[in-house]
Amino acid sequence: MDIIMSELYLSTILGKTVIDELGQEIGKLSDLIMVPGEIFPEVSHILARRRKDTVSIPWHEVSLFNPFVISIKGTPTKIPSFSPKEGDILVKRDILDRQIVDVNGAKVVRVNDLKLGGHHDLLCIFSVDIGFRGLLRRLGYERFWEKLLRGFHKELPHQEISWEYVQPLEMNLSRLTLTMARDQLGDLHPADIAHIISQISHKHIQTVLISLDTETAGEAIHELEPELRSRVISQLDSEQASDILEEMDPDEAADVLGDLSDEKAQELLGLMDEEEAEEIQELLEHEEDTAGGLMNSEYVAISGDITVYDALKEIRLLAPDIETVYYAYIVDREENLQGVVSLKELLINPPDALISDIMAENLKTVNVESTPENILEIIAKYNLIAVPVLDMEGKMAGIVTVDDILELFLPYALRRRRYHH
Amino acid sequence: MFTGISLVKLFKPIREVSRKNIVLFLAILGPGIITANVDNDAGGITTYSLAGAHFGYSLLWVMLPTTIALVVIQEMCARMGAVTGKGLSDLIRESFGVKVTFYVMIALFLTNMGNSVSEFAGIAASLEIFGVSKYISVPICATFVWLLVVKGSYKFVEKVFLVACMIYIAYPIAAFMAGPKWDIILTATVVPTFKADSAYLTMLIGVIGTTIAPWMQFYQQSAVVEKGITIDQYSFSRLDVIIGCVMAIVVAFFIVVACASTIHVQGLRIETAADAAVALKPLVGKHASILFAFGLFNASLFAACILPLSTAYYICEGMGWESGIDKDFRKAPQFFWLFTTIIVMSALFILIPNAPLIMIMFLSQVVNGAVLPFVLVLMLMLINDKNLMGKYINGPLFNLIAWITVVIMISLTTLMTIDLLSPGFIGRLLGL
Repeated sequence: MDIIMSELYLSTILGKTVIDELGQEIGKLSDLIMVPGEIFPEVSHILARRRKDTVSIPWHEVSLFNPFVISIKGTPTKIPSFSPKEGDILVKRDILDRQIVDVNGAKVVRVNDLKLGGHHDLLCIFSVDIGFRGLLRRLGYERFWEKLLRGFHKELPHQEISWEYVQPLEMNLSRLTLTMARDQLGDLHPADIAHIISQISHKHIQTVLISLDTETAGEAIHELEPELRSRVISQLDSEQASDILEEMDPDEAADVLGDLSDEKAQELLGLMDEEEAEEIQELLEHEEDTAGGLMNSEYVAISGDITVYDALKEIRLLAPDIETVYYAYIVDREENLQGVVSLKELLINPPDALISDIMAENLKTVNVESTPENILEIIAKYNLIAVPVLDMEGKMAGIVTVDDILELFLPYALRRRRYHH
Repeated sequence: MFTGISLVKLFKPIREVSRKNIVLFLAILGPGIITANVDNDAGGITTYSLAGAHFGYSLLWVMLPTTIALVVIQEMCARMGAVTGKGLSDLIRESFGVKVTFYVMIALFLTNMGNSVSEFAGIAASLEIFGVSKYISVPICATFVWLLVVKGSYKFVEKVFLVACMIYIAYPIAAFMAGPKWDIILTATVVPTFKADSAYLTMLIGVIGTTIAPWMQFYQQSAVVEKGITIDQYSFSRLDVIIGCVMAIVVAFFIVVACASTIHVQGLRIETAADAAVALKPLVGKHASILFAFGLFNASLFAACILPLSTAYYICEGMGWESGIDKDFRKAPQFFWLFTTIIVMSALFILIPNAPLIMIMFLSQVVNGAVLPFVLVLMLMLINDKNLMGKYINGPLFNLIAWITVVIMISLTTLMTIDLLSPGFIGRLLGL
């Protein structure tokens, strides 16, 4: 027997009369209780509102379920009353009209309607309607607009996302997410995650960050606007915040901490690994918009008296913890900068060549107090990916990479471009 | 348990004065004060001026209860924002569904369009005092507002506007210099008087409607959300709301007093903006109209920047459309079209030859008053929802004050409508 029509929209069945076998009214359909299913979330009970209370009917007692008739088996005299339990997920109360993340499109959208469908005699959520059509259906104007647009030879588009690509934002809904979707959120680019975070409420931000691994969470946080970034960090639990900061590159962590109050920053530094904390502390002491404030203190340093083969071996070892590995800097015992070799040169030179023979000695540097304009000029003029930063005594302190500089100048460029369009 | 107004609680943050607390307060300060200052916009200044000029001190008694209602209502919004981290239209959509949201948004769109029209009326009226034709001033200002919004440089200009709002101090000074009889004013402030005619009733709704306007609730709540204020820092935010509301009402009070003790005493009426400027004569003599025009211009332009943009935000938030000034017409079409439409339509409306500017500014405030109760009912349902607010639901006193406001506004609006349809109804009703 076919209980369900192949596919139906939640909005077309809510409020419909639920009858028993003899056609006597039990109540009006008010909501559906969802549980995680084999593939898609399934309906476990349907709720019908009567004059005084709401009753809950298990799905297996339902005999017909479509926009025309909703009926149950037999003629039960006493149906148990429904009292909401913690952890129950009600599709209308908890999902309809809420914000969700469309993982595919990497944006926050609102659920206008839900498409349900039969799967082995079970009723499942198939997809989420986020479009104009869903809004019109809820308002009761869908037919009217369809006709109107047909007059202009146009179609009212369907904008639906399959439940696989949906990440709910409410904490207790997460268990309805398919495991696949959970991973997809982590697979998004950190900049996309940051965009999502900037659009949702502070409670939901927690849900999203918890579902990510600390490294991705850290990258996403670094991508946020400074104001929102310090807000998010100060709203996180301090333990969690310091874990995330540890995973970030020191210069990025210093950026984030620099926006916080001194008190909060010191508290978080105190919770971090001592070595990491010290490195960040040093970066924090420089003015924010100088080479010292922009630089990353982690770079590849090798000595000049080894061969290319050994140098490559060393770089391979260092690389996992260092952001920029395109240049290896040759530094002596007193941390004086001797020269530089690029990764390309290491690859094209014979393995037994000595580094000191192939390195470029006449390198361009900036000092910790150089302005972003100076750095940009040097990077652009000499086509560099990174430029070394020397401290006041002329010793190597760190590097500033092209993306750190670009980030500073990009907002102006973007704003100008948008304005000219 | 949250028990509503208790003075000790309200000023708790002040009791523990320390450097940290002051810094925290200054950081959180803002949403309430900005809302309050935008509240005294073109419609506000006009309505208060008319109230004083045409009805003397007889409407002053409304100010005290209105302040209480305003504080209660704005506090509710700030609290909802801090607890849920969501805007008002977001909450309305999630709790009441598409239909309710849709019609509330239409009402909000229309009232805010009315408010925007009144802001452009204010711009036109104030610059006409300087002899600039509205056919020049309005298109230029509309373009300026649109560019400011799209360029995203509004935040900077906001501070300029706020500083310029200091000009309101002129009203209290002018009021004192006019040498009114303070004993009469004091009596009029605390003893209610009531006149049974539709003009008085319309003015009453206008005064309440301009002081407690529907857009303010949406604006206050999203400003709190945007600042990221959480319930832990909430006591500071509450103080911000109270300071803002008191500031707004003090200005309103003195506008009424200043107009009552100059224009009303001389038996004049306000037909154009220049007439309203007479209230400032005791302070600056013949320069009164320049001062008035500058104040009105600043207030109008300030609100003209905020209203269309914020309306577009709330509607998109409620309907689930992309929003944000960092997007463009292609990425967030509804958002960009909404605020562009509001700005263009409002400006065009003012350009209609012989548009009665003062009347437009006043009537838009009456519409505010008529829409307010519906927004309030939704707010009351939301803030008393335990699932949403947990232990921060309203206390009985707050509920009582808010419900009284709803009942009063609905009865006043109904009375006014009936009286418009069948003139003299109120007189007959009270005459019985």
